[in-house]
Amino acid sequence: MALRQVKLPDIGEGLVEGEIVEWLVKEGDYVKMFQPLVRVLTAKATVEIPSPFEGRILRLLAKPGDVVRVGAPIAEIEAPEVQVATGAPGASDVERVESRESAREALQVPVRAPPRVRKLARELGVDLSKVKGTGPGGVITEEDVLRYAEESKKAAEAPRQPALVEGAVERVPLKGIRRIMASKMVEAKSRIPHAYIVEEVDVTELFKLRDVLRQDAESKGVKLTLLPFIVKAVVKALKEYPLLNASLDEERGEIIVKKFYNIGVAVDTPQGLVVPVIKGADGKGLYQIAREIGELAEKAREGKTSLEDVTGGTFSITNIGSVGTVLGMAIINYPEAAILGVHRLVEVPRYVDGELKPRKIVYLSLSFDHRFIEGAYATRFLLAVKRYLENPAILMASEEEFK
Amino acid sequence: MPLMNMVQALNSALREEMRRNPRIVVLGEDVGRRGGVFLVTDSLIDEFGAERVIDTPLTELGIVGVAVGMALYGLKPVAEIQFIDFIYEALDQLLSEAAKIRRRTGGMYSAPIVVRGPCCGGVRGGMFHSQSPESYFVHTPGLITIMPSTPYDAKGLLKSALRSEDPVVFLEPKILYRTVREEVPEEDYVVPIGKARVAKEGSDVTVVTWGAMVYQALEAAKLVKARHGWDVEVIDLRTLFPFDKDAILESLEKTGRLMVVHEAPRTLGLGAEIAAYVAENAIDMLRAPIKRVTGFDAPFPLVHEKLYMPNVARIYMGLSKLMKY
Amino acid sequence: MVGSRFYSTDWPFREYSLDDIGFDLRRALGLYRVIDEEGEQVGDFDVDVDRLLEMYVYMVRARILDDWLLRLQRVGKVAIHAPNKGQEAVGVGAAMALDGGDWLFPSYRELGAYLVKGMSEEEILDRAIANIDDILRGSEFAVYGKRSVNLVPAPVPVGNQAPHAVGAAMAAKILGHRTVVMAIFGDGATSRGHFHAALNFAGVFKAPVVFVVQNNQWAISLPSRRQTASVTFAVKGVAYGVPSVRVDGNDVLAVYTIAREAVERARRGEGPTLVEAVTYRMGPHTTADDPGKYRDPGEVKLFEKLDPIIRFKKFLYKKGFLDEDQDRRIWEEWSSRIEDTVKKCYNKPPLPVDVILENVYSKPTWNLLEQYEELKESLEIVRELGLEVD
Repeated sequence: MALRQVKLPDIGEGLVEGEIVEWLVKEGDYVKMFQPLVRVLTAKATVEIPSPFEGRILRLLAKPGDVVRVGAPIAEIEAPEVQVATGAPGASDVERVESRESAREALQVPVRAPPRVRKLARELGVDLSKVKGTGPGGVITEEDVLRYAEESKKAAEAPRQPALVEGAVERVPLKGIRRIMASKMVEAKSRIPHAYIVEEVDVTELFKLRDVLRQDAESKGVKLTLLPFIVKAVVKALKEYPLLNASLDEERGEIIVKKFYNIGVAVDTPQGLVVPVIKGADGKGLYQIAREIGELAEKAREGKTSLEDVTGGTFSITNIGSVGTVLGMAIINYPEAAILGVHRLVEVPRYVDGELKPRKIVYLSLSFDHRFIEGAYATRFLLAVKRYLENPAILMASEEEFK
Repeated sequence: MPLMNMVQALNSALREEMRRNPRIVVLGEDVGRRGGVFLVTDSLIDEFGAERVIDTPLTELGIVGVAVGMALYGLKPVAEIQFIDFIYEALDQLLSEAAKIRRRTGGMYSAPIVVRGPCCGGVRGGMFHSQSPESYFVHTPGLITIMPSTPYDAKGLLKSALRSEDPVVFLEPKILYRTVREEVPEEDYVVPIGKARVAKEGSDVTVVTWGAMVYQALEAAKLVKARHGWDVEVIDLRTLFPFDKDAILESLEKTGRLMVVHEAPRTLGLGAEIAAYVAENAIDMLRAPIKRVTGFDAPFPLVHEKLYMPNVARIYMGLSKLMKY
Repeated sequence: MVGSRFYSTDWPFREYSLDDIGFDLRRALGLYRVIDEEGEQVGDFDVDVDRLLEMYVYMVRARILDDWLLRLQRVGKVAIHAPNKGQEAVGVGAAMALDGGDWLFPSYRELGAYLVKGMSEEEILDRAIANIDDILRGSEFAVYGKRSVNLVPAPVPVGNQAPHAVGAAMAAKILGHRTVVMAIFGDGATSRGHFHAALNFAGVFKAPVVFVVQNNQWAISLPSRRQTASVTFAVKGVAYGVPSVRVDGNDVLAVYTIAREAVERARRGEGPTLVEAVTYRMGPHTTADDPGKYRDPGEVKLFEKLDPIIRFKKFLYKKGFLDEDQDRRIWEEWSSRIEDTVKKCYNKPPLPVDVILENVYSKPTWNLLEQYEELKESLEIVRELGLEVD
């Protein structure tokens, strides 16, 4: 029998940490290799981590809500020496790496500090493992402890300097998806110079088409909203204006133009904003898109979105505005190139063939990466989307018709 | 107040106490007519007569043994050992008898003799005129061991020894006999046994020392203050047993760094006892390892004695190491 | 040395004769006796009957007590005992020569002397058992003393007390007292440096001290003739300028007479004397010794004939100072008294644990106070763990 540690694996996508959402096993359980252990929320989605070992769970080292860095131990398993590998590649490699790491850990040198210094650290509440020692051989001196305590005090005091909030406040910790959202927004806004264009789209005809299809759709278990039509319109337009379906590799100075169309659709969930992706939207039919939108949204609201669901997007649509204001400027879902905002539908009078008629109007806003997309280009894209939405016949017909 | 060197201070102590207490008797080799080879007992025979200042045959065993007998009967004998290096013949009488009689006789008898003589090095005395054998005495329960470093302390402590009810070994660093002069009162005063003296106050390092090494420590303290701004506290123990542990701990509370300097060889020197006591009872006061700067674990040499004995260089080395913490 | 003449190294050179020694050398080579083996008087004595009977009773008491101490050791009540048997005459004879104010520095085989000087059987037994009334508070085994009668308990290294006796004698002289000091030790002790230093000082300073060498012919397993090449032990004193006499140590009257002479000499200010009392160690060195390993049992049988008590009894009978009935009564009375005392001492409680840290200094030093706390704490744990610590 050997004591092994389960560490938060590097699940890719450049993730560095995750928040424990829910343990799927408890201490004392016997687990098989690859049995799901825990659900971890990453910057992208909630991920299930499987067990790299077979064995008995001895200790869970993190609790729900804890943020754990990749590589940090999250559980201890008492595992038999011979692990039954049930086929997944790399399991034995993981094992060997684990044991080497734990061997190295066992040799770790404890903190070096003389008794008087330890006493002082205890009194000041200083964690000696965080203090850098400047004495001979790296031993910690009294001055080192005092300096650390001083700096910690300053660091703790600093954020309070400009009276961030005056008056009675309630402090709510930033947790879960919201915490991720905070960092994503900062990332997007700071890396991408956003430019915005807006267009008014008359979807009266589109609604007529929807009404025609509604019963048929329902009979097939599909709830048909405006959104699937918009997805189709966007895809069609992206084919014409591919730069909006790209990413900028600043390091190499290259625009990565994607030949696949994964359209992200923002969903407002109780946990916060989630953007599941409709993969290969160009190859999917209207009903299928509608169905997927529904399923993904449902999944997101239940917090069951997988990493798969939220990764790989090339262009995003947000229609939160549809229950909100008539106009807004969305933030691009980095590292995509653009995001289309769909806002509230209003019924307003417009001139049609010289006559004033009630028309269904919706505003579309396009936020785009102005580093490599010019305004005119973006405009032409948006106008294409508009044309498709205002002329559903062209939207619904396949390309072949127009060859 | 007259200026006295240590010999004069000791002579003065003996004279005053012998006047005060008619039971004090001095015995040893050449102490009477010659006045002692270092003149510590000079002219005592003129004032007190040959009955009280006794020239003995050449046997330290006899000198100390007879002194014990005299003390049992009720005299207060001061036995001089011409050079402390020769005390070993007398150890059976000093360690088996003088130290143990009170205990051995259930408290009925005691032998409060004073055994005194010149000790320590620095005068090119070689192996048998330079030793610091204080460990043998400190290690023996029942003895008091004293080593003054100044004329004032020498007189005051010898007086205390002559008034003590316990046997005292009184060690006089011979290099200090004539090299230090200071004002010493002619009136009666005593320096209490068991109390150290802060020779120099400081806040960075505690240096515990005694005898001639006090001066080396003070020199080193001056040097490091000028060079590095370090503030060294020098404690002169004066009484080696029972040593003033409170003074040491009080100082250590301030500084957190301990050094002990002594001429005696390192292994089982008094520095080891002090280090062990501090480590056992005050480890939370230490911010650095304890450093002992001592004579080497070799017999005292004739040549290069200033390198054998702790000198300013070695004390400086030790201080530098301690100040890194 | 040329021929039989002695050269001195004085300046100017001169020759010395035997007269210059100042006393009769032959006394150091002879064997002074008052009574022979059969109890016949062969020398002069000047002691009245009461004193003679006192002498006899002391010897009887010493013998009875010695037997008891041996028995008590065999049952584990006494740690170690150095049997006194056969040497009663030396202890009693020498100690009776002293006045009350005189000091005695014995060693550990003078049971008679302790009784004469003023220790009671009870005090001696309490001391040997080391119970709560032990006058030496459990400090050592087989040594006895009592300050109020100027009896100084012996050091364990033999002969260490010789310089003490000289120092005390010199102190008495300096203070102008008429005190005489006597030291008793064995043949083995004369080989040690302390003996030499003491004799030397005594001779130089004419100290009022009497050295009694109990030559019981054995120092554990070493016979006297291997202890020294000197023809007698008394003759050693001559080398230091100390008048020396050799006496039959199993003749209590002889010992008394010579010791008395020496004490009076000292009191007159004529200086020290060395008395060699030739006797025989009938028993083992101590209860831890087995003389069968090195000694011919036939030799012991021989000396049984020279038993000092029997010899003196014969003398007293012959002189008509004692008869069988009186003798029997003496033995019975003292046997019963001493037995009662033994029983009393046997059941006394032991000394408190504190004694192991007592009397190191006139007042305890800080380290002893700290260690006393540690001792107390350890006692609790001992009790808790049920450790055997006796």
